[in-house]
Amino acid sequence: MNETEVHDLSDDADYATSIQQSSGMMRRSDSGKRSSSSDLDGAEIVYTKDNVAVHPTQYASERISGRLKLIKQENSLFMTWIPYKGQSSSSRLSEKDKNLYTIRALPFSDVRSIRRHTPTLGWQYVIVVMSSGLAFPPLYFYNGGVREFIATAKQHIVLVRSAEDGNVFLVNDFQNPLQRTLSSLELPMAVSGSNVPCTSLPASELPSNAHQENDVSVGSSERFQQNGRQQQKHHDPTRDLSIQILEKFSLVTRFARETTSQIFRDSDGFSINEGEKLDQSVPDHHPITASNESGKVPVASDPLELDKLSLAWGKPRQPPLGHEEWTTFLDSEGRVMDSQSLRKRIFYGGVEHNMRKEVWTILLGYHAYDSTYAEREYLTTIKKTEYETIKKQWQAKVRTDRSFSFYDGDENPNVYLLRDILLTYSFYNFDLGYCQGMSDLLSPILFVMGDESESFWCFVSLMERLGPNFNRDQSGMHSQLFALSKLVELLDSPLHNYFAQNDCLNYFFCFRWILIQFKREFEYEKTMQLWEVLWTHHPSEHLHLYVCVAILKRHRAKIMGEKMDFDTLLKFINELSDHIDLDATLRDAEALCLHAGENGAASIPPGTPPSLPLEDASIYPQPDDDIL
Amino acid sequence: MASSGNKNINAKLVLLGDVGAGKSSLVLRFVKGQFIEFQESTIGAAFFSQTVALNEATVKFEIWDTAGQERYHSLAPMYYRGAAAAIIVYDITNQTSFDRAKKWVQELQAQGNPNMVMALAGNKSDMLDARQVAAEEAQSYARENSLFFMETSAKTANNVNDLFYEIAKRLPLMQPASNPSGMVLVDRPADKATGASCCS
Ligand SMILES: Nc1nc2c(ncn2[C@@H]2O[C@H](COP(=O)(O)OP(=O)(O)OP(=O)(O)O)[C@@H](O)[C@H]2O)c(=O)[nH]1
Ligand SMILES: [Mg+2]
Repeated sequence: MNETEVHDLSDDADYATSIQQSSGMMRRSDSGKRSSSSDLDGAEIVYTKDNVAVHPTQYASERISGRLKLIKQENSLFMTWIPYKGQSSSSRLSEKDKNLYTIRALPFSDVRSIRRHTPTLGWQYVIVVMSSGLAFPPLYFYNGGVREFIATAKQHIVLVRSAEDGNVFLVNDFQNPLQRTLSSLELPMAVSGSNVPCTSLPASELPSNAHQENDVSVGSSERFQQNGRQQQKHHDPTRDLSIQILEKFSLVTRFARETTSQIFRDSDGFSINEGEKLDQSVPDHHPITASNESGKVPVASDPLELDKLSLAWGKPRQPPLGHEEWTTFLDSEGRVMDSQSLRKRIFYGGVEHNMRKEVWTILLGYHAYDSTYAEREYLTTIKKTEYETIKKQWQAKVRTDRSFSFYDGDENPNVYLLRDILLTYSFYNFDLGYCQGMSDLLSPILFVMGDESESFWCFVSLMERLGPNFNRDQSGMHSQLFALSKLVELLDSPLHNYFAQNDCLNYFFCFRWILIQFKREFEYEKTMQLWEVLWTHHPSEHLHLYVCVAILKRHRAKIMGEKMDFDTLLKFINELSDHIDLDATLRDAEALCLHAGENGAASIPPGTPPSLPLEDASIYPQPDDDIL
Repeated sequence: MASSGNKNINAKLVLLGDVGAGKSSLVLRFVKGQFIEFQESTIGAAFFSQTVALNEATVKFEIWDTAGQERYHSLAPMYYRGAAAAIIVYDITNQTSFDRAKKWVQELQAQGNPNMVMALAGNKSDMLDARQVAAEEAQSYARENSLFFMETSAKTANNVNDLFYEIAKRLPLMQPASNPSGMVLVDRPADKATGASCCS
């Protein structure tokens, strides 16, 4: 029996090569112990599941199916997922896509957690999160078997159910306590005598017993589990609801206060926040320039020579789109005649401030490009009523609760506006709820739109693109950070290697950039300009990732030359706030995007946020959606 | 004012605690002597530094101010790893924030640096009318867990500088008989040590 399995394995050419290649970029420093020889005698397949698929796009019809396996070799467990050859459900999915998603011999020592989703309607799937913080796209089990998958894995590795979320299973929870999942942190941390060494220390300075991290006894993991179970108190849904609302409320007001008071303090709205941004006040701050001379050590040169590239590809920026020019894009009834050239125009120059109120509704997709003046007006009225209806839901609940009286004394009417909109949104999209960062996204919209209902609906449209940034399991952020790492690998391999060697591959130093779309990196007017540029989705709907690459490349010499480690890098990146030249960056980003071309697009897994709203048929060919 | 000691020490300090407890406000008060009624909520983390002069030495704090929302909890270990000191902040007018502070203490005890100096700060002490957490309760919790405890107000500046000074004094390297094993203080050498964290 064992023989057939071994035979099966040796048949699997992908596996044979992959186990030698190891897991590519995700490889962790301490995983060198895994077998690198081609001797597969000790390997045993402990789990096989067919029809496990990745959905690269939002259409379930477009999936890549493959075979998932758990393979045990010596004392290590590996996971592989190899797409079937030549069986794409859609011609749009290329071999490249398949390669992108293939999981080759991923050792579980590199895995941090597995999140399982077993909805009553729809397919079961799991998300595998790496120790680096990156995650693979969801693996859908079309033939079921998630439970079996977890159970099998559990037989071979330490897998602990998170006390915080019963659907999260923590892998190797003791191996590297510094890299825990969101949920694991809620575990009662009672590991006795866990003298956890600081990871940044050289091994030679560690006490000799510090290396015995694999010796964590099974006993303690069992204790963890028990504690975990105790923690999972039964839930009273109504109580949960009210607590959630309460919590949201307190957050909302705070953010509301903080943000609007800044935005609306000045009549023109643009001189906000001066000197209030903490990051810029660091004493030993050097003006940041794209200098190459600052490096203390020789730095591998930029394989692309960004300056030349930008000159060749990045077109000069133009003045913003004004009223007169705007009308030339419209027919007599107000339809945008050529949405593509409009988007292109806005990409190169942004929009004059007084035009934003009208243009943003269309750019964001709240109003369709081909809607007429009259249709837009009509929709606005309808939507106003709809907004009021949603708002009433929470108003009824809130009035009965006294604890909200602490808002008394807040005089800024815009505070209430911002709060009301965010609260209404949390009812409109109950799954997502309210989170830190949303007010950053709403405030410029409210500033431009003025009107409550209109701001709400524009925010709704924006969240259709950016909502995944706030997913509880961080999957939206993970997938963007993953794509960013792929792009840097493509566009600046020395920099990529540097990050790999310095434990920076998780790209968390770009977290704030992506989460709130650079809102805290630029002054208000520049933020609005950047956003309308990004919303055009020209020349890529993932231009924001190229913006990240552009900024990183501008500072690559400093980063590598000064040998920044993760802490220093994060500090450095935070301090770039208010020191980034938007126009130059956009030019760089455009140049990088054009230069990367198809390879760039192939580096970004389809479905990485922000995805365009479905109705924009000019960009997405209509799918024949056989499942959803 | 100036340090008469000959030691210059860099110490990494991290602030942890619930959303709105006042982490950023405490730092701002300590670093710039300011208070902002409408403090912007932290996304990811922010970095500051400030130097404290003691008799024996000068301690430069490298301060990491983290985001409090549960949803971003997974980022926290990146900031507290290798920290010499931590301030766990709660809001005395908010019982939930105290519960959360206890969780942070547990977490740091389990996986932080064992020599880490931990301080518990009950912030917003100016808002006595709205108090939900009794000082005695926090004090005895702190004692049980060998934490150093103070009630502070970033708004009035009460106890803010004292908090940081007390931490500085308690840093192991400030103690005459401390074991200079090097783990506690992040005195980053210009050339990062090789070996331990290098792949391929
Ligand atoms: N009355 C009073 N208010 C305070 C005090 N400290 C902070 N605040 C207020 O409490 C609110 C939150 O303060 P922050 O410093 O932003 O809190 P934080 O812990 O950094 O919050 P996050 O960054 O969201 O995790 C702000 O409105 C502050 O003005 C204090 O000592 N007294
Ligand atoms: Mg803060």
